[in-house]
This record gives sequence, C-alpha cells and structure tokens, in this order.
Amino acid sequence: MRIVLDADRCTGHGRCYALAPEVYDADDEGHCVLRVTGEVPAELADKARTAADNCPERALSVVDGP
Amino acid sequence: MTTTARFVRPEERSANPYDDEVAADPIPFYDALRDHTPIASMLALPHTHLISRYEDVKFALQHPEIFSSDISAVDIGQDRPLLPLQVDPPDHVKYRRVMDPQMSARHFAPLEDEVRGLVNDLVDRFSERGTCDVHAELTVPLPCAVFLQLCNLPQDSLDQMLAWKDDIIRPQLRHPDAHDPEVAGQIRRRTALAIYAFFGEVIADRRAQPGDDLFSRFANGEIDGERMTDEQMLDMGFLFLLGGLDTVTSTLDCSIAYLGRNPDRRDQLVADPSRVPAAVEELLRVHTPVMQVLRVVKQPYEMHGVSLEPGDSVMVMIGAADTDPTEFGETAGEVDFDRPVNRHLAFGGGPHRCLGSHLARFELVIALEELHRRLPDYRVPPGAELRYSPGIREIAELPLEFTPRPRRSS
Repeated sequence: MRIVLDADRCTGHGRCYALAPEVYDADDEGHCVLRVTGEVPAELADKARTAADNCPERALSVVDGP
Repeated sequence: MTTTARFVRPEERSANPYDDEVAADPIPFYDALRDHTPIASMLALPHTHLISRYEDVKFALQHPEIFSSDISAVDIGQDRPLLPLQVDPPDHVKYRRVMDPQMSARHFAPLEDEVRGLVNDLVDRFSERGTCDVHAELTVPLPCAVFLQLCNLPQDSLDQMLAWKDDIIRPQLRHPDAHDPEVAGQIRRRTALAIYAFFGEVIADRRAQPGDDLFSRFANGEIDGERMTDEQMLDMGFLFLLGGLDTVTSTLDCSIAYLGRNPDRRDQLVADPSRVPAAVEELLRVHTPVMQVLRVVKQPYEMHGVSLEPGDSVMVMIGAADTDPTEFGETAGEVDFDRPVNRHLAFGGGPHRCLGSHLARFELVIALEELHRRLPDYRVPPGAELRYSPGIREIAELPLEFTPRPRRSS
C-alpha cells in the first residue's frame, strides 16, 4: 500500500500529521509532506489509511499494491 | 412543529438561521434544510441563499472563483479588506505564504506550558468557589490572554481588547442604543480607528525593537519581494482580534455545555485525557460553533435548479454540512469520540481554511485537559437555561457547579 498526495488540494488542515505523524509531516506552511513515499510498512498501514481518510480536502489517497 | 425545523419553510423555499432557538438546537433546522430545501432563500430574500449539504458546502469553499470571500461580504467598520480572509486567490496565496508558517501546529508546541499556565491562572480564580460562569471567567478571557501572550503585550490590556472586540462584533452588548444600525455603524468605525491606532503603535515599536512575538515575525515577512507594509500588518491584526477570539470562546462554550450535561462523556475525558484531541474534533463537528460563513457569487452558477447571480450572497451553512448523514452516516447528529473518519468543515475548507485553526486546536485541547484535571465533576446545574447566540454560537452565561478544589499550590 502507498499514499498519494495531491499537493494542489492540500490547504493545511493538518489532520494527517496529527493522526499519523509517522507517515505525514508538515512543511513550513503547515501543508502535508509524505514521510513515507513508497510502500507503507504494515504496522503503520491502518494509521496511514485512517489519517488519509480524515483529509477534509480529499488530498490523500491510498493505493493498494506497490 | 415545535422543533427548530419550523424555521425552514420548504413551500416558500425560505429559512431563517438567525434565531436564538436555532442557535441553541440547530440540528433539526439543519436536517430540514438539507432534506427539503438544499438551496433556500434567507427570509425569502431573493438574493441571499443558504446552502447546507456537505458536498455543496465543500464545493463552495473550494471554489472561491465562484463563491468569493471578497470585502463586500462583511462590513464591520474596517477600512480595507481583512487580510487574508477578504482577498481571494491568486493574491491570497501571497499572504498565506507569510502567515501560515507563523500559525502552524509546529509553531505553537513550545508555548504549551505558557498556555497551560494561563488556563490554570483563570481556573484558580473560581476553583475554591464550587460554582462559576465558565463563559465570563474562562472561555472569554482565555483566547484573548493567549493572543496577548503571542504578541508579547501586557495582560493588563485584556479588558480593553475584549471591549473593542465586543464593540465591533456586537456593539449592542455595551451600548443599548446600538440597536439602531446607524449608531452601531458609528461605534464600529470609532472602534476600528482605536484598534488601528493601538496596533499601529505596536507595529512601530516592533519594527524599532524586533522581538520573538507575532508582529515582529510578520514584520520580516515579504509579499511580492517587499517587506510587509504597516497597513498590511494592521489588516492582519484586525482579523486576528475579530476572527481569533470569539470563535474559540464559542467552541469552548458549546463543548463545555455539552460535556457539562453529559457526565458519561465528561468522565471519558477525565479517565483518559489522551482522548481529548479526538473529542475536540467531534465536538467541533456536531456543535459547529460558527454556523455559517458568508460568500459572494462572482460568476453565474446554477445549484439545485436555482440560478445564482453575480453579487448574490450565499450563507454557506457549515454546521449543516457537518451533520449531513451522507458524509457522516446515520449517527451524524450524535457525538462519538471514537468516530474513525471525521472530515468536518468547522474550520472551513479550500484556500480560506481557517488560518488560526492550529492555534484554536492547541488552545481547545489544553483548556479541556486542564478543566477536566482540575474540576473533574463539573456539570451544568440541572434546569439551567442556556442562551446561544446565532451565527457564532456563544452562550451568554454558562453556569457550572463542581466540588470546590484548592488553587494550585504556587
């Protein structure tokens, strides 16, 4: 499973990095940057998915497979 | 009909959200709006529309080129647009690029002890008493105290700031004659001048002697390669005072009123303070304190068969969106601290997403953590009638009773 960020949609709500700081980080403006760009480690998968699901702008999507 | 659904009249396609009763119990009103009149006219006015479904609200927030946030939307005595709220993209992004870094979550974390101290100072003033008006004694002064701290201004300016804020937002509170709109306008303009003068001095001082406060840091910000002007900083200061204080007050009012009447939920937070951040999000959703935001139509647009014309006003009912079952499921109107997905729009969305949202969350979490730690058995006295104000849902008086507790040992 991978996370795809649509940076144009992100407006910096910060729900992702509040819910899964291991997977998402904030840039200087508080917008999302991915800390895990490739395959999300299995132990973080649920957390990563929950955080992506909580994005009010739908800027994050979960792609299954490599 | 005895519920607030009666403030929606589907047969006339009209609705009135500006009623104390709606503000006290908005969910039946929101449900009726979404179900029967997804686009309604405010009090049958042809050019003021209410939109309420989650997808419509989100669309409006994400499309400022159609639903603009520009100055004509709000006249509260200001000389120039409130920055960055009343400037749309593309200029908007220039301001946000300077302001967002100063308002990011990362930025506030180091202030945790100071803010916790401010909350406890306020709680100390009533903890031994066993009763309080938590609105007047905590939720009103706290956001202002935090703002002063961020600006490195003395806490003894607090009463002055609160008076200014009230004179702009609800002038009739301190001036009974302000029920006359002309008088209200005069008071607002007079107050705006006083605020500009006050912040003008602060800005001059920070330019001369920069420190680590908010204004000093903005003073170093660049817009279009040039240092921010005094005017631009004044406009931001104005927005801070108006946008940043009442909104946190009303969120705390709505949250504490709910918890003070639902001891099982309060006890969940007392037993496990790590649930407070999720509780803050859920209470923001169900009790969305800012019921609506205003937008102005920029280009013709059709919604649910109604033509919106340029210049029309649109009340974007974020409270209705936040309780929409199509987004939040059958339990949309219920509080559930374990809700796994909560894409609420209490802080708006799109490019104008609340600039202060990270500061607000930071204050809300700390305030609720400390309140539950210090006064774990607080409750709203049974039979107390709470008066909510429409628009921004403050509770004029919010009595609590609790087992008296000692002040902090200092």
